[in-house]
Amino acid sequence: MRSPKLFMLTCVLMLGGAAFAQGVKVIANSSVQATSISASDLKSVYLEEKSSLTGSGHVEPVLAKGGPAHEAFLKHVLGRSDSDLQMYYRSLVFTGRGSMPKTLDSDEAVVAYVAKTRGAIGYVSLAADVEGVRTLDLAEGGSRKLIARIEPDYPAMLRERGIGGTVRMSVVIAPSGNVKEVKLRGGDAALGEAAVAAVRKWKYAPANSETETEVSISFEPQH
Amino acid sequence: MRRVVLFVLLFLGSYQVLLNAQDFKVFDRTVQFHGFASQGFIYTSDNNWLTMGTASGSGAMTDMGANASMAVTDKLRIGAQVYDRNLGQLGQWHPTLDWAYADYRFTDWFGIRAGKVKTVSGLYNDTQDMDFLHTFALLPQGVYPTVLRELTIAHKGGDIYGHIALPRNAGSLMYTAFAGERDDSKYGGYFYLEQTPPPVLVLNSISALQYGGDLRWNTPVKGLLVGVSRFSESNQGDGVFNAGAGFTPYTQSSRADWANQYFGQYIRNKFEFDAEYRRSWIDELIYSGAQEVQTNANAWYVAGSYRFFRWMQVGAYYSDLNVDAPVNPGGPTSGYIHDKDVTVRFDANRYLNFKLEGHFMDGVGVPGVYPGGFFGADNPNGLQPKTNAVVLKTNFNF
Repeated sequence: MRSPKLFMLTCVLMLGGAAFAQGVKVIANSSVQATSISASDLKSVYLEEKSSLTGSGHVEPVLAKGGPAHEAFLKHVLGRSDSDLQMYYRSLVFTGRGSMPKTLDSDEAVVAYVAKTRGAIGYVSLAADVEGVRTLDLAEGGSRKLIARIEPDYPAMLRERGIGGTVRMSVVIAPSGNVKEVKLRGGDAALGEAAVAAVRKWKYAPANSETETEVSISFEPQH
Repeated sequence: MRRVVLFVLLFLGSYQVLLNAQDFKVFDRTVQFHGFASQGFIYTSDNNWLTMGTASGSGAMTDMGANASMAVTDKLRIGAQVYDRNLGQLGQWHPTLDWAYADYRFTDWFGIRAGKVKTVSGLYNDTQDMDFLHTFALLPQGVYPTVLRELTIAHKGGDIYGHIALPRNAGSLMYTAFAGERDDSKYGGYFYLEQTPPPVLVLNSISALQYGGDLRWNTPVKGLLVGVSRFSESNQGDGVFNAGAGFTPYTQSSRADWANQYFGQYIRNKFEFDAEYRRSWIDELIYSGAQEVQTNANAWYVAGSYRFFRWMQVGAYYSDLNVDAPVNPGGPTSGYIHDKDVTVRFDANRYLNFKLEGHFMDGVGVPGVYPGGFFGADNPNGLQPKTNAVVLKTNFNF
């Protein structure tokens, strides 16, 4: 029997693995307390719009000089070419609003610098040895890492009658990681009530701002 | 010209040293040092442009700058930049303090800058004089007139600013509010615009109180930014004028002087698209209150660029400037400049670039009121209705 637990786990694994599928690992100095970072926050850090993360204090971006990881980071996180990014940093430098980030030649150099520099955040290739630094999960868009989940109670009457289906919900997550609001978007009303009650008790990783995500739970009656 | 050659030789000789010496330590804090120099040449088919003798070709288009900055603590930055330029009759190699300020960032959503601060307004006001940051050698002159750079580029005062992440994946907001004053250099474009040959009006000083704000939204659409700016100022000027019976005191003052600017930008990997619209209104009293001049200017442009290779980028824009001067005693009351531009930018590396640019302009604006780059003083035989221009420019920066 397929269970809602297996379906949910599959969704979480697919969403949390986005950064790895993009060809980069995001790393941080041990002073950075966050375990994950949204793509939008990471972009804001690299564009020097943000200089801190909730619970982690000051952060500073570290750039790679080139290579596949750098190209993947430019394309999937920053959405800019290297030339455009360099001009952006120069616009900060020559107006006094920022500085050129530390730029290093290799994964090893990035890891070594991030390991010794308080608040440093960088990116390396998937194969890089990241001993001495933390790895941050990169959440695409509004997806956040789910760190604690409650299984929904399958209404006995519906299960005995063979009534199942998929329930779709939109979930608003507070910066603390608590679920702030759950709205039913589709599926059986009774199953939805059970799903909503469970999702309300889920816990996500902290983030700098409130986010919204879609969650689907499948109920399959026992045959 | 000798200064240009000397400066270029100095930069070429110290090229490698400068590239390797961009930061150094002071009391265990990193000081970053950066600089730039650019040289341009313009030839126009008709009309002299930008106070240069472009109708016969002119290389009087040089500027340079250098800055140093340091993060004193995680929240406090200090820095300063000096700038020097010669653009035709403007600048004339009188260096200025471009900016110098302390920047304290309390949180991501609230910070303060104080000192001489570059003014954030529209997409490019604060970087308009640094062509190495742009595809184009000359930004659309109706929105960013290089001859009037000093009027808007910086203010002595302060800013509050911040970055606010919006909930529910709605993107983020960035705001800046500023207030301060400016004192114009006698080698600036406003002095050049106001003074009338033969010496009828001689200005001693022009200054202004300035205030305004900028609000921009990084939208949920990846790469799309939209925003709005407001710029207000109150000009004061004094000097002497000669109405034929000797020099008498002269003053000028603003009754209203503001501009609203709306902008959008879309950047996606190698492609960039910009669009801006600027509406300005100036109502001022001149000749010690005896005359009033009103100027209503609308300017807009759309621009696009694409980086085909790491070493080559192509861009084009269409810009439109319309000026109405409903109260302009003895002068023209309307004018326009339509400018079609195409540019190719070559990047030898991160530090050195070359640009080849063509402008196809129709109209000359309202010279003497809102120049748009064309001055009667530079064209004693009168202005032709159309001007084609070729611009060559090179820039080194580190």
